[in-house]
Amino acid sequence: MGTETLILLVLLFPLIGGILNGTIGKNLSETVVGTIGTLMVAIPFVISFSIFLSLDSVVNVPLFSLLKLTDFSLNAGLQVDALAIWMTMIITGIGSLIHIFSMGYMKGDPGFYKFFTYLNLFIFSMLILVLGSSYFMLFFGWEGVGICSYLLIGFHYNDKEKGLLNTLAARKAFVMNRIGDLGLLIGCFLLINLFGSLEFSVIAEKMKSLSIATDSVAIIGITLCLFIAATGKSAQIPLFTWLPDAMAGPTPVSALIHAATMVTAGIYLVVRSNFLFELAPYTQHIILYIGLATSLVAAFIAMRQNDIKKVLAYSTVSQLGLMFVALGLGSYTVAIFHVTTHAFFKALLFLGSGSIIHANHHEQDITKMGGLKKYMPVTHLVFLLGTLAIAGFPLLSGFFSKDEILAAGFVHSPVIFSLLILSASLTAIYMFRMYFLVFFGQFRGDHHTQEHLHESPSVMTLPLIVLAIFSVLGGALNLPDFIVSNGSHWLDHFLNHGTFGLDKIHPHHIETSSAVGIMIGTSIITFLIIGISYWMYVSKQKVTKEEHDFTGWEKLSSKKLYFDEIYNALFVKSVEWKASKVLPFVENRILVKGIGLLTQVISFSGSQIRKIQTGILSSYFFWMILGIVGLISYYLIYFKLWNF
Amino acid sequence: MELLIITVVLGLISFFVPRNSIKLFGLAGSFVSAAIALIHLINFETGSSVSIFETTEMPFGLTFQIGYDGLGLMMIALTNLIVPIILLSNYNNSATSENRVFHALVFFMQFGLLGVFTAADGILFYIFWEFTLIPVFLILYWFGKGTNKVLLKFFIYTLVGSLAMLLSFIALGLKANSFAYSDLLAVHLPAKEACWIISGFLLAFAIKIPLFPFHTWQPDTYTTAPMSGTMLLSALMLKMALFGMMKWMIPLAPEGVAEIKWLVISLSVIGIIYAAIICIKQQDIKRLFAYASISHLGLIAAGIMVFTKNALVGASVQIVNHSLIAIGLFLVADILESRLKTRELSHMQGTATLAPKFGFWFAVIAFASVSVPFTAGFIGEFTLLKELTKFHFAVGLLSATTLVFGAVYTLRAYQLSMFGAPKNESFEDLRWNEILVFILLTIAIVGIGLFPQFIADLVGPSLDKLIIIFNETTTH
Repeated sequence: MGTETLILLVLLFPLIGGILNGTIGKNLSETVVGTIGTLMVAIPFVISFSIFLSLDSVVNVPLFSLLKLTDFSLNAGLQVDALAIWMTMIITGIGSLIHIFSMGYMKGDPGFYKFFTYLNLFIFSMLILVLGSSYFMLFFGWEGVGICSYLLIGFHYNDKEKGLLNTLAARKAFVMNRIGDLGLLIGCFLLINLFGSLEFSVIAEKMKSLSIATDSVAIIGITLCLFIAATGKSAQIPLFTWLPDAMAGPTPVSALIHAATMVTAGIYLVVRSNFLFELAPYTQHIILYIGLATSLVAAFIAMRQNDIKKVLAYSTVSQLGLMFVALGLGSYTVAIFHVTTHAFFKALLFLGSGSIIHANHHEQDITKMGGLKKYMPVTHLVFLLGTLAIAGFPLLSGFFSKDEILAAGFVHSPVIFSLLILSASLTAIYMFRMYFLVFFGQFRGDHHTQEHLHESPSVMTLPLIVLAIFSVLGGALNLPDFIVSNGSHWLDHFLNHGTFGLDKIHPHHIETSSAVGIMIGTSIITFLIIGISYWMYVSKQKVTKEEHDFTGWEKLSSKKLYFDEIYNALFVKSVEWKASKVLPFVENRILVKGIGLLTQVISFSGSQIRKIQTGILSSYFFWMILGIVGLISYYLIYFKLWNF
Repeated sequence: MELLIITVVLGLISFFVPRNSIKLFGLAGSFVSAAIALIHLINFETGSSVSIFETTEMPFGLTFQIGYDGLGLMMIALTNLIVPIILLSNYNNSATSENRVFHALVFFMQFGLLGVFTAADGILFYIFWEFTLIPVFLILYWFGKGTNKVLLKFFIYTLVGSLAMLLSFIALGLKANSFAYSDLLAVHLPAKEACWIISGFLLAFAIKIPLFPFHTWQPDTYTTAPMSGTMLLSALMLKMALFGMMKWMIPLAPEGVAEIKWLVISLSVIGIIYAAIICIKQQDIKRLFAYASISHLGLIAAGIMVFTKNALVGASVQIVNHSLIAIGLFLVADILESRLKTRELSHMQGTATLAPKFGFWFAVIAFASVSVPFTAGFIGEFTLLKELTKFHFAVGLLSATTLVFGAVYTLRAYQLSMFGAPKNESFEDLRWNEILVFILLTIAIVGIGLFPQFIADLVGPSLDKLIIIFNETTTH
């Protein structure tokens, strides 16, 4: 079968899985539902892997035309290139593992079949997003993943205590995403106006012939709109506050959607549009600073979060910020490299936290855990590997990918570089604080929970082990050339050769001496942080305070820098004030009263005139006159206004 | 001819059908009319215009011409397919569904609507336009909860608008010495005169749609009307105005469009945002959907005023889409109101747990109304917003905020009524007819969402003609 057919199968399987589980899943056993759901993602992984092995050129698969307009058509079509197939493999690969994990984690949930339906539909939408051949298809998938994310965050909507809170978080996520979507939509319209098409290939062709000036208004407008879209999906300042709240969803959802795949859609969008961003250094600067600021702010907040999933959520925001820094510096392949390794270790950490939460009777507060090392040996081991990977422990996957971003910053400016080092160090600090508090010391939860502490079943630990292996070895995808002489920077080359636009951009690799220097420097910092954390939390047995005991900077961190409160006061309250006070006043006091007065005048004068004319003049006729009078006066005012 | 006559016949027979079988008779009759519309749709040759009846031998330049082209046929098919769905939704509301007069009124209403969509003569159009008011007013008066004040407001309001339209027709007709559509089209007007004439139409249509600030009759009327009345009003009657703008107002006085374009578009955009913000804190679910309707329609009206082919195609898709969604939303509101005896969102919490099927189908309609992929709204909104952005960036941007606001209020309404721990002890889940309605709506919404080209092909040639007329006059 040709690539065209195979790629359609990749898309169709999850859709069929979703439909199957959604319609008849209710009557099937959990094992069957889970197996169907998992297979419908695992098979596409195998297929996409085979496509990946044989892919040598960009394959376009036009499907059908939805709507032909005079100057433009809404077409459905797919495009397979290096970037698309790489993302597809991440989505289906990590997706399969998370599906397997969910079979254990969601066991006994009354909405088991619904969960797998939504997951499969999410995979389907996400695949459309990365495989679409145009911005229209991308938007299609973009909206689709937003809905699945909404449904899955609010999955436990009828929970007695947290039901409404879950749905509020879901709505917040959806609405904030929609603000980003607005950017994407407007960006699409601007693209149509400029290029007359939304097809990536057509726009790419026209870029050559149109010779658009660097930093022209049109290109800055388009790239800014696209970046706004990216800040929504990828949780960057100012639209990042939804992601930590999205942790209200079941943990596998956090791992799949809110860490490994959907939130990287913004990165994908920018990389896909690299040829546009390359012409807009102005926007690139904005991306750089927003990414850097987000990375630092989120890392700072993560320092004093006590909810295990919140720490990981802010960590995700921070890591996404680092990826945007890479994009802002024009290192697109580096960003995708970090997307890849991050997908491994963050999925691992989230699933690991899921395993911990599962064992702790759904307790998520790390002050109520401790000493779990001896109860959950497998989870402990993989969690340790994940923590080491994200903290940049030498030779693990995160070490290499983060190092590339640091190197790009090093070339750009010393200030940016030192801030990146700061962000990376903060990552190690909050991660090891969490790790030691959870696994070392004495168990601090209640007695009942302690009795039931147990290692999770193998259906849950198996995916963890696989992810752990990848988290450790993932760096091998893109080794620097002073480590291996042959086959260095494999991922860079793969993406550069098979993705439009990237073939024009040659990543500048820094000198070997600086590169080695940075690696040694960061390794020393990481070792120091691990040592100090061990001394603080294990040797001195320091336990973090309860949330309400924090003061000073700790309070700022634990209160999330008051972002939610500020947004509430600035935007939510003002719209709600308009909705509940101002507009009803306009509506009821001005418009309704005004019209009411008019009808009263009409009926009153109607009755008066009827008296005078003794019913000869029908009221119908009277209204007619009044209509004329009304029109005349309307026009007198109107034309006067017009002449100004 | 059978297209129109069947509704009158059905209406008349309704008076004599035994009471216990009127429900079935109404449903069956409406399905027959739907089938006839479908036959017309199948036999229709793209781009042609079909004359149903024609005579010019009448006094005062009056003519009696009815017929349709693609655009008219879309509206005819919409009317004849929506009426059975309305009757099906209404199947279990015994107060109306077992009433003979009610059914007669619905069929007369349908007759009036078909007349409006087929009339090819100004005065005839006006007569049908006014005629539709009578049955719908009686439905509201006899079967609704509206006070006389509310009904009077509705009646006076729409009547004032219609009279302005009549004046415009008379002024045009005197110039053309005829009221036939083709003759009226041929009249060339000085800009100022055209302005007068177009504003006569505008008043009628702005009230009916309704546009801000002419909308104040609408929320009260919608909330107090019986479900079927609200559906007739929102799904069909106000579409007369959008159709009127496309086929009558702009082509008849294109010289005046430049003058009022910005006024109407501004009002539409204000309406989109204004109504959406009111929805955000609205506690009454039916009133919320009424305002949401204002917001959705503002977008269509703005698109029509831009008057490009793409915008009109988008408007056509969105007209059909809005009818389907309006039926769905008002059915949801009625299910909640009739079973909980309240329209307050705060009393509905947790209904999805008690009635999972209802929770599911409400979610489908809610998502359709926020225009997610695979629904007709996704295509319609995309096309309309694209054209508005092309027309003017600020207009496009402001209109596109409906994306965000729509999500806020629709999901809020859904969550407050469906999610959380149940507040009520029990809630009867959907009945067969309600499920059937939701299934039919979903098929239509998703069908158009995937194959909107069908509508574009149907209306395309008619729109081309209108645009040629418009461009010829305005470029001279």
